[in-house]
Amino acid sequence: MIEFRGIKKVYQTGSQSLEALRNLTLEIGRGEFVSIMGPSGSGKSTLMNIIGCLDTPTEGEYILEGRNVAGLNLDQLATIRNKTIGFVFQNFNLLPYATAWENVELPLLFNGKKGRQRRERVAELLGEVGLLEWKEHRPSELSGGQQQRIALARALANDPPLILADEPTGNLDSKSGEEIMAILSRLWKEGRTIVMVTHDDRISSHSERTIRLFDGMLAV
Amino acid sequence: MNPTLLRFFLSEYRKRRKKAALITFALFWGTMSIIIFLGFGQGMTTQFRTSFSGLGEDLIMINGGQTSRTYQGLPKGRRIQIFPTDIDYLKARIPEIDLIAPESDNSWLVSARRKEINRTIHGTTAEFASMRTQIPRPGGRFINPDDVRDGRKVAFIGWKVAGDLFGAENPVGQTIVINRVPFMVIGVLEKKLQDSMYNGPDADQVYLPFTSFGQIDSQPYLDRIHLRPRKPGDSLLVEERVRTLLGRKYRFDPDDRYALGIWNTIENAKEAMVIFKGIEVFMGIMGALTLLIGAVGVTNLMYAVVKERTQEIGIKMALGAKRRVIILQIVMETLFIFVKGTFWGFVTAFNIIQLVRRIPINYDNFDLGGYLLRPIFSMQTLFIFLGVVGVLIFLSGIFPALRASRLNPIESLRYE
Repeated sequence: MIEFRGIKKVYQTGSQSLEALRNLTLEIGRGEFVSIMGPSGSGKSTLMNIIGCLDTPTEGEYILEGRNVAGLNLDQLATIRNKTIGFVFQNFNLLPYATAWENVELPLLFNGKKGRQRRERVAELLGEVGLLEWKEHRPSELSGGQQQRIALARALANDPPLILADEPTGNLDSKSGEEIMAILSRLWKEGRTIVMVTHDDRISSHSERTIRLFDGMLAV
Repeated sequence: MNPTLLRFFLSEYRKRRKKAALITFALFWGTMSIIIFLGFGQGMTTQFRTSFSGLGEDLIMINGGQTSRTYQGLPKGRRIQIFPTDIDYLKARIPEIDLIAPESDNSWLVSARRKEINRTIHGTTAEFASMRTQIPRPGGRFINPDDVRDGRKVAFIGWKVAGDLFGAENPVGQTIVINRVPFMVIGVLEKKLQDSMYNGPDADQVYLPFTSFGQIDSQPYLDRIHLRPRKPGDSLLVEERVRTLLGRKYRFDPDDRYALGIWNTIENAKEAMVIFKGIEVFMGIMGALTLLIGAVGVTNLMYAVVKERTQEIGIKMALGAKRRVIILQIVMETLFIFVKGTFWGFVTAFNIIQLVRRIPINYDNFDLGGYLLRPIFSMQTLFIFLGVVGVLIFLSGIFPALRASRLNPIESLRYE
């Protein structure tokens, strides 16, 4: 599913350059549940951004589903994010003025899904996360756990094979966190690949494998 | 646009309504300026054309003069006069002439109903009417060829003469006495704008058949010849041929500009039209510049919008929005702000133009009002306006939109 070959990411700030990832090579198979751990500054976020096609590596090859992502333009990357990857963020990143329904609808709109098909899909997704009755509510009227469930429904909109979760429980109480983890586990069991950043051992225990990063390299 | 995206955009827009209010007003003002300026510019040009044609349309007027050069042994300073025979003489030799009419005038007392006024009386023929825009009020007519042939005692009078002698009464069929000879009024001139004239405005004149005029006036020469070329473009050619032919007949140098007085209104009008067109274009540019100020405001606002919504744009990018979706969103918003401001400006300007057009023009005392009070809202104005607005919408929306579409999704997601 995901293959990193000698990935390097350098951030240039003025005359200083910061090497966030150093010659990283790793592989994540289809259907794996992997958590990425490491202290802050270890390159977790950079790794996630590159996996999520939000950023491109300075050097090296990133093969996603057999396709080299390196040479793609902005719109091609957008299409991959839309169809292949579902994002779950620590701070949910829902549109504040949009209702739960509309937030879930957004990736389908960008995918060009038409009227009835789209409405059925949104209803199905909200049903899956148990929030169909809350469809008219805006994020500010929902609890953190509910917001993250909406974000999960949104991530699943185009039925992507890969879910990227960046500290998905970081802003939640433990009960809500457990609910989210239960959903992620279910998605994994349904065959999706899950990559999750966390620094909580209890959370990472849900995954099959843990990748530990230190100073932009795999910790041995 | 998808209804959900449209609704997102409207709810976003509503939040910014207050901020947008000033800019909306600038657009309103700019739109009003451009449409009113164009309207008044075009109205002035049209009024000028109308009032100029109040004297005559495609008209060349010729009168006698005084030589300023010696010619064939003849001294300078000789008086050159034109005569009724010149009408047929010129008509027969210049095929480019369409219409030609003689005119003689003299000042006499005109009386009716025990009222007496002093006016200029003219003798002419039927062709005069079309060249000098002598349009009769309904129920009357101008002098016709039969009047001239039979030497009928009929008169066509200006509307001021009619008012001075008959008040509100219809003068047609009534008798006026000119130089102690009774004439029947056959028509009254319809009110018209007239900015150029000799012997005062046509409203104050009295016209008789050329032959009848000859019976009360003993002057053998003509005061003026009016002629119209078949094609306005031939006016200079006709003018030259008249000088050559009359020069040969009356023995003066055809290049002597003082031997004949020639008033070529076609050439005058051409020059004046260039000036008026220039004013029109200038006013259009002024209007467009005013609107540009509004557009600069919109660009500023849109840059602020992009900054404010950085995180939202980041979210949309993460969810797979292509660049054109982001661009379209910003451009649509620009369009919306523009439509709102310009629509009301447009409506207001349109109504102002219509209201101004209702103000009556004083035909009896033609002045600045005659030019200014008939602004025009034309299709041309509309198209120029839409063109300018279209370009401004594009320019004020596209740069902020491009900036938005080039945002880095990661930095945008982190933006607070």
